[in-house]
Amino acid sequence: MSLVDATRSVTNSRRLPPLLAFGLLGGILLVYFALPFVAFLGRTGSVPVVETLLQAGSRTAIRNSLLTAPVATAIATVLGVPLAYVLARETFPGKRLIEALVVLPLVVPPVVGGAMLLSVVGRFTPIGAAAARVGVPVTDSLLGVVLAQTFVAAPFVVITARAGFGAVDERLEQASRSLGYGPIATFRRVSLPLASRAIVAGVVLTFARAIGEFGATMMVAYNPRTMPTRIWVDFIAGGIDAIVPLALALLAVTLVVVVTVQRFAGVPTVVDR
Amino acid sequence: MTLELDGLTHRYGSERALNDVSLALEDGELVALLGPSGCGKTTVVQAIAGHLDPASGRVSLRGTDVTGVPPEDRNVGIVFQSPTLYPHMTVGENVAYGLESGDLTAGQVSGRVDRYLELVELADRRDASPKSLSGGEARRVELARALAPEPDVLLLDEPLSALDKGLRARLRDEIVRIQRETGVTTLFVTHDQEDAMSVADRLVVLRDGVVVAAGPPRRLYESPPNRFVASFLGRSNELSARVESDESSTVTIGGAEVALDEVPSEVTDTARATVHIRPSDLTVEAATQPDGTSGVTRDALDRSGASADGGQSDDRSRALEMRGTVTRVRDVGRRYDVRVELDLGEVVTVEMHRDKLSQSDRVTVSAAASDLSVFLVSN
Repeated sequence: MSLVDATRSVTNSRRLPPLLAFGLLGGILLVYFALPFVAFLGRTGSVPVVETLLQAGSRTAIRNSLLTAPVATAIATVLGVPLAYVLARETFPGKRLIEALVVLPLVVPPVVGGAMLLSVVGRFTPIGAAAARVGVPVTDSLLGVVLAQTFVAAPFVVITARAGFGAVDERLEQASRSLGYGPIATFRRVSLPLASRAIVAGVVLTFARAIGEFGATMMVAYNPRTMPTRIWVDFIAGGIDAIVPLALALLAVTLVVVVTVQRFAGVPTVVDR
Repeated sequence: MTLELDGLTHRYGSERALNDVSLALEDGELVALLGPSGCGKTTVVQAIAGHLDPASGRVSLRGTDVTGVPPEDRNVGIVFQSPTLYPHMTVGENVAYGLESGDLTAGQVSGRVDRYLELVELADRRDASPKSLSGGEARRVELARALAPEPDVLLLDEPLSALDKGLRARLRDEIVRIQRETGVTTLFVTHDQEDAMSVADRLVVLRDGVVVAAGPPRRLYESPPNRFVASFLGRSNELSARVESDESSTVTIGGAEVALDEVPSEVTDTARATVHIRPSDLTVEAATQPDGTSGVTRDALDRSGASADGGQSDDRSRALEMRGTVTRVRDVGRRYDVRVELDLGEVVTVEMHRDKLSQSDRVTVSAAASDLSVFLVSN
């Protein structure tokens, strides 16, 4: 049977799923995602996970990460959501420039971003020196970690929230204004609840990015160690097997936060049907 | 005067949206603001509600200048073309929303919600989600929500456009009933002349940001003040004409002459003009002509226009007669639309109620002089 005949008989006997080719291409990518994951987890047995995590170095790293990432996420959200709303609603000269600025931290490699931060708050810059003098050093401190994480992760909440606000019909807000609510009350009672799903998604992405942030953190605050910087140090000393415990812990923290936030903050928008 | 617009002008960038628009609504009046899409109707609504700051002009509510006042302090109710019920609230919460911003007690709010849901006959849907409502129900809830705070003025911005035809007519009647019951001063904005004429006490016609006519619907329909209104309010045939104001004082239309004093017009100078005639005001008869093969003698084939007037169709009132050939007869259900190409090249549409003509019949088209509207061509 020739190839043509074979193809034809298949086409005739059973219709192929219409998106088969798409699925196959996507499948390659999925395998590529899953394979390292599985291979990495396969090494779990070689190093005692719990014992390693209980060591002082690991515990400090976990604590530092759990302190900094939520703070960075909160800062990004409190400052980013209002910015997202302005970008979604207003037109003004220079808006394109502002939008470009928002994605800049995504485009710049984190290590370079860290270097840029250093050039503003580094120990020998006026700001860095002044901060060190009053006893709140910006570099090599938890504050430095927060600054690095915020710089790298904040664009996620801005971009996602902006899309969320953009999807809320402006007429809904106008109706609210005409029903007696000022702009702030309208934002709180209409725009925010209706964009909440997008905002929550943005917050989760921002948190995941912040807690896993390495490049900029390494430049600004190599010490005190967070989980990612600790992983780097362990890797240099002991190779892949050495980092499995902390990597698992990082993964677990991120997963727990993502699931919890989505469960509790995924505000129910549908009343009874 | 409940609502007054005075010289409202606005532009978006370089594009002029409104030019010196002035209008006034008496207490309890239902006025339709009518115009084709893009004529600036929505800009007027936005300026009245305060969602837009006009370049110049004044908006007054109950005698107070509110031009610089934010929407929340204007007491203007608004229903948009697209649905704006809040999906994260129930029907009842939606209606209560505009009441909670004021200083009513919870009990008063609840009572008011019940009353307005009853007004729109949806009291039983109070706890439903807006998503479970049909298109017409959603519109009615929006009406209830806009009316519950008892606004000075209700703005309806194309409230029927998104609905299908049957529902449209029903909701239109519903809006009129609710407006009569509440007595709220209402501006009904629409591009649909049928909607406008059937609901409004008064019409304001807007074109390219300029008010081109205002008055009772019937008067504007029967004696349109300009060509645009003539063609926009209902169907209209437009014919070119020449006005001779010398001793003869006649209008020449399609080769036929009509004495000027029989035509309702203010045209006096020798000028090019256009004449508008409604398809229903035209009568078409098989032609009596020397070269005709059938030799039909002026049998009126369709007298619907005349018989409706009690048969007062004597020859004198059929002042305008034009010869032509039928090019198409279209059956549109309630009537036939007959297209006649006149011998001088222009085309008219005539409404008939019986199908007696067919393509390429020779016919005479006639109209009473009083049914003509003559407009000067200015350029």
